[in-house]
Amino acid sequence: MNEVSFHNFRVSAAQAIANAHLQSAIDGATLKFRNGRRAMLADLPDVEAMRDHFKAMRSATLAHLTDYLEQFECNARAAGAQVHWARDAAEAQQIVIGIARQHGAQLAVKAKSMTTEEIHLNAALAEAGITSVETDLGEWIVQLAAEAPAHIVVPALHKTRQQVAELFSREVGKPLSADDIPTLTAEARRALREKFLAAQIGISGANLGVAETGSIVLVTNEGNGRMVSSVPPVHVAVMGIEKLCPTWDDAAVWLELLARSSTGQPLSVYTTVLTGPARPDDPDGPRELHIVLYDGGRSRLIGTSYEEVLQCIRCGACLNHCPVYQEAGGHAYGHAYSGPIGAVLVPLLLGLEQYEALPHASSLCGACLEVCPARIDLPRMLLDLRAEEVTHGIIAPPEQAIEKSAAWLLRHRRLFNLLTDLGRVFQRPLVRHGGLWLPRRLNPAQERQLPSLAPRSFHDLWEELAAEEAAPAPVARRRLPSRRTTVTLAGLSLLPLALLWRLLRRKGGKRR
Amino acid sequence: MNTAREDILNALRGRVRRSESPPAPWQSRQHFDDPIARFADTLTSLYGEVIRATNADDALNRLGNVLTNLGATRVAVNDEPPLAGVDLAARWPDITWHIVGRTEGDLKSFCADADAGVTGAIAALAETGSIVVSSGPGRSRLVSLLPPVHIALVPVSCLTTDLLTWAAARAGEWPANVVAITGPSRTADIEQTTALGMHGPKRVIAILYGE
Repeated sequence: MNEVSFHNFRVSAAQAIANAHLQSAIDGATLKFRNGRRAMLADLPDVEAMRDHFKAMRSATLAHLTDYLEQFECNARAAGAQVHWARDAAEAQQIVIGIARQHGAQLAVKAKSMTTEEIHLNAALAEAGITSVETDLGEWIVQLAAEAPAHIVVPALHKTRQQVAELFSREVGKPLSADDIPTLTAEARRALREKFLAAQIGISGANLGVAETGSIVLVTNEGNGRMVSSVPPVHVAVMGIEKLCPTWDDAAVWLELLARSSTGQPLSVYTTVLTGPARPDDPDGPRELHIVLYDGGRSRLIGTSYEEVLQCIRCGACLNHCPVYQEAGGHAYGHAYSGPIGAVLVPLLLGLEQYEALPHASSLCGACLEVCPARIDLPRMLLDLRAEEVTHGIIAPPEQAIEKSAAWLLRHRRLFNLLTDLGRVFQRPLVRHGGLWLPRRLNPAQERQLPSLAPRSFHDLWEELAAEEAAPAPVARRRLPSRRTTVTLAGLSLLPLALLWRLLRRKGGKRR
Repeated sequence: MNTAREDILNALRGRVRRSESPPAPWQSRQHFDDPIARFADTLTSLYGEVIRATNADDALNRLGNVLTNLGATRVAVNDEPPLAGVDLAARWPDITWHIVGRTEGDLKSFCADADAGVTGAIAALAETGSIVVSSGPGRSRLVSLLPPVHIALVPVSCLTTDLLTWAAARAGEWPANVVAITGPSRTADIEQTTALGMHGPKRVIAILYGE
């Protein structure tokens, strides 16, 4: 299991920050998506009201999820689909493997899907002796490189064209030039086309399901969603139970917002609606459609203060606007769900203990809330998760002790003054260029400086100001610092202490 | 032991909020004075191509021009309006046609090897420049998917404002497969560089006919 401790996150983020290609790729892609989103949303009349509506619809759907799940199941079955239920990843894997075995499938083609990433389906299929080929170009690159996706929408964001050319050359068995991206793409088309035509089973996720008709909707630009659901004789779609909407009116709002928020397109190139398998008089299409309704910890969140996270439609807008994601990159999050949504969703689904650093992978600037099509309050949930780490003792005992002592110390002014005065003297051998020297273990990227204690404390300066105030100068009264200046100065004086806490805390976390 | 279905539904049942009711349906507030122009502009901006024809017969003439310019020799075609009933082989004898549901032989391998696929459309969306195609008798999923060029004959009468208005107005059962196609297949997965024709067609040409 990927454990994202504070130390792991920081090391991985430091690597991403040092990777110039990755930084410029993230900057380029996220800027393009941010601009595209803004332009495309502006094209919708009353888009803010539409987002409010969408949020209300998502919330009401989750409030009555049993009804919609049963309605969806009933209508999907009526249309000829086979509906399966999976409590956890292992169950979902077994269902898919069972279907593949029943059809003697050795080769599966897979469309891009976050839910199948979540259940690690490829690894499970490989163990069962079934080759599963990712057919989204980005996912295929990542699969060939045996890596994890770096972005929800653009999985191979971190790869250079040279790396891609190398991977493809090895796969197709002839040298390919990195200079010509259309040719690389054409080679991928040819190689993957063979797989599509040979595969006995197609696997996908589902962007959404519509209860009133039992339909699922797949959204792709390349057409991998169409291919896996049209070419092989069997199609299996794994869908999270929260991805439902009641009616086609709701589905249309969902789709109007999805691609605009995600890649800045009016609609993705292919919006595929699947209602049951091929009908007897259809000339082609899969003879079987299986829909796996996957829980994986979602039902546990319904009715809690975290339910809102299930309103997510995986557009990736929060990643594209997050200052932490833009520096740290997707891999630091240790899971296919990265960025602000990953920082909330992953600890909730897989355990706060294993992913303790994720709720802290945020500056709480609020950009994610502002751009979320469903207005999911991620900053609130990040804070709630941090609070839980304290109340549930996930924060290590040494760190808890340090924080408690710090709180106690702050209530004892004289002792605090005494200790900081001592600190001013004894810090001297450790001061380098105005900052404190830190061992590399505490500052792996060596990019942070912990300010040293100032020569005079704010408290001292304040007393001096107050004294001047009491004995007014003969000519003009000296202007008192404004309230804002006071607050700023107070904040600044606390900064070194706060930073010291953070560092100690990280040290504490690592020791566990 | 409970089944997974019972466990999941039971877990959720205790947490239903009956008081929360769904909002009234959202109705499209989009309006275009000239939906044809909007459709054409949007699809063109998304790497698609739009050809205007006066009527169904003119549309067929223009289809012929497109196929000639492509140098197409193998063309798969859905047996749907306005193509159904047209004697394609007589009109374009140089082309090997596969008419879905009529021509013998394997449709999949023909499509995989065809120069172009020709379909009708059940709807077109002005706002997003989308062509909506559907499965059904005579209507293959692969004709608009496997060949490198997709030509859709789209009657203006099926043009509607947007997905919302189309979904609200559509009635009856859903076919097994309905696709809103918004331009040619594309990817930007290698260094954010757009490349067309990743899995589906490299070119999408809408011949918009009628008034």
